[in-house]
Amino acid sequence: MGSGDLRGPGLWTTSVGSLPKPEYLTTARTGRARREISAEDLQELERTATREWVEFQDSIGTDLVVDGEQYRGDMVAFFAEELAGFEIGGLVRSYGNRYYRKPIATGAVGRDHAMTVDWWHFAQSLTDAPVKGMLTGPYTICDWSFNEHYSTRRDLVLDLAKVIRDEALDLEQAGARYIQIDEPAASTRMDELDLVIEAMGVVTEPLSAHTITHICYGDFHKAYPKMLEIPVDQIDLEFANSHYSLLSEFSAHPFSKYLGLGVTDVHSHELEPVDDLVEGIRKVLGHLPPERVFVDPDCGLKTRSPEEAKAKLSSIKKAVDVVRAEL
Amino acid sequence: MPIQTTVLGSYPKPPPEGASFNLRKTLHAIERGSADEGDLQRARQELVAELISEQEAAGLDVVTDGHAGWDDILTPFARNLAGFSIGGLLRWFDNNVYYRRPICTGPVEWRGPSTVEGWAFAQSVAHVPVKAVIPGPITFAHLSVDDHYGDRGNFVSALASVLAQEAFELEAAGATIIQIDEPALLNAPEELELAKASLGLITSQLQSATTIVCTYFGDAKRLGSELFELPADCFGLDFVAGPGNSELVDELPGDKALQAGIIDARNTALESTAALRAMMEPLSETLGDRLTVGPSSGLEFLPREKAKAKLERLVEAATAVAGSGGN
Repeated sequence: MGSGDLRGPGLWTTSVGSLPKPEYLTTARTGRARREISAEDLQELERTATREWVEFQDSIGTDLVVDGEQYRGDMVAFFAEELAGFEIGGLVRSYGNRYYRKPIATGAVGRDHAMTVDWWHFAQSLTDAPVKGMLTGPYTICDWSFNEHYSTRRDLVLDLAKVIRDEALDLEQAGARYIQIDEPAASTRMDELDLVIEAMGVVTEPLSAHTITHICYGDFHKAYPKMLEIPVDQIDLEFANSHYSLLSEFSAHPFSKYLGLGVTDVHSHELEPVDDLVEGIRKVLGHLPPERVFVDPDCGLKTRSPEEAKAKLSSIKKAVDVVRAEL
Repeated sequence: MPIQTTVLGSYPKPPPEGASFNLRKTLHAIERGSADEGDLQRARQELVAELISEQEAAGLDVVTDGHAGWDDILTPFARNLAGFSIGGLLRWFDNNVYYRRPICTGPVEWRGPSTVEGWAFAQSVAHVPVKAVIPGPITFAHLSVDDHYGDRGNFVSALASVLAQEAFELEAAGATIIQIDEPALLNAPEELELAKASLGLITSQLQSATTIVCTYFGDAKRLGSELFELPADCFGLDFVAGPGNSELVDELPGDKALQAGIIDARNTALESTAALRAMMEPLSETLGDRLTVGPSSGLEFLPREKAKAKLERLVEAATAVAGSGGN
């Protein structure tokens, strides 16, 4: 498979997925939770915020655009709310002062409607750049949920793989040429990496789009090079948070896919100097040609303020322009 | 024969559904500059009092402060010791929970107690013993980056020295039970000798406090009965994630006690009293009054209501087994 529709020298800029919600939207979401505003009014604001983020990405010349997930609270809970078989549980901490509602699988998992296609259509209608379809992978949905129904994790993962495959097929049918199936949990248990690979095979087997998965915050040194067996065209990884330590592995086992190169720490308020990003991209080009590299932040930017996120995305574009000029 | 009941350490911080989450709000307010450290301490103390009261109401014999002021078992120490900076995010074992990795950049040195004040406050609002919890030196080393010592033995010894000082101060303040968490030892059987020496540095500082070496998130079968040669009075084993642990029980020396993790602290499915009794009865028969039961790990992986319901169920089952006079 190729790099989809993108042309040019490579080092395409993109985002991992989520972008911060503007204050009017977080306020409206709280209002909706208290039933103070209607679902329609909230959706109108979600569309406004989506439009603003697509316009921003266009304004800085982003190559591969995301819708910013303004209509999602959490990447697993969003799907759990849309799918049959899940209940939404109580708050559980993920790190620091951040909490999420961890879903509970209480019955057989099923999909009776497309979950993300309308939003993809809307975002794509706003730009000439390709917009990524954004899905959460079956292994991560399982791993980040409680399970009160299935007797094994494998049974739950493989049922989820079928519904995510159907959603991906609907996105492709709608015209998406880039489909990302996030598996941040893939690096959790080395003894389940085969299950991650098998489930991703179920999802990507029928697709012709450029497929991407994002993995984060685990011990990559243990998962590498086995992770290259995950059947996708591109793997997106954090490099800034782990100080480019994975590059040492690339010398022994060349990275054989397209790389999503995370160059900014999404959990820091600090705006890294463009020079640091330039240096990071140059390091990676010692291992991979530019036409195999997409450049983005380490992870979704939703925990930053909109201003911080815009500054980080702008820095990435500036750094890419510097390095592109050297090619 | 009564069976003692306890928790391992952490307890969910979010309030029951619908109540105000003051700790989270206060931490947000500090980020915005509209609250100070005094506000934070008050919020934490209120939460500690609430969590202790909830554990006591469930009927536990020994409680903890719920780690209400902690993000994980390392950070309170890493922030307070000389020689550490705080690094990037990493997954906490195989959970969807993340911590910031301590980085050792210089000699590890004691600068005063890290947790004594917190323990003393917790004990002042409790009616039963509050267990003090500290990380073990092997686990501390595994979960950190050593950029200074360059030698595992030296790094572990340095950590053991400062943790010994902390344990000494905890006992001096009145702590009668000190739990030393060593989950990382399960995956490092080759470090058992190092564990014996370094834990010896800690427990030899103590006069009469009961010491527990606590493991969780897995099986201790790779360590075998040699685990029980560690210098401690009691051993914590996870019977949920480590089903092989039941085979080790017969090898527990007659002068050592067991803290058995038998309710699943990482899944919401509520155990039946019958299932819990079936797990407790053989343990109780073998161990008599040397048995304490609790959750499989810290409870923070569960929503608040689920954790509470599970503790109530635990106490109910323990009371039933004790009352049935099987011993």
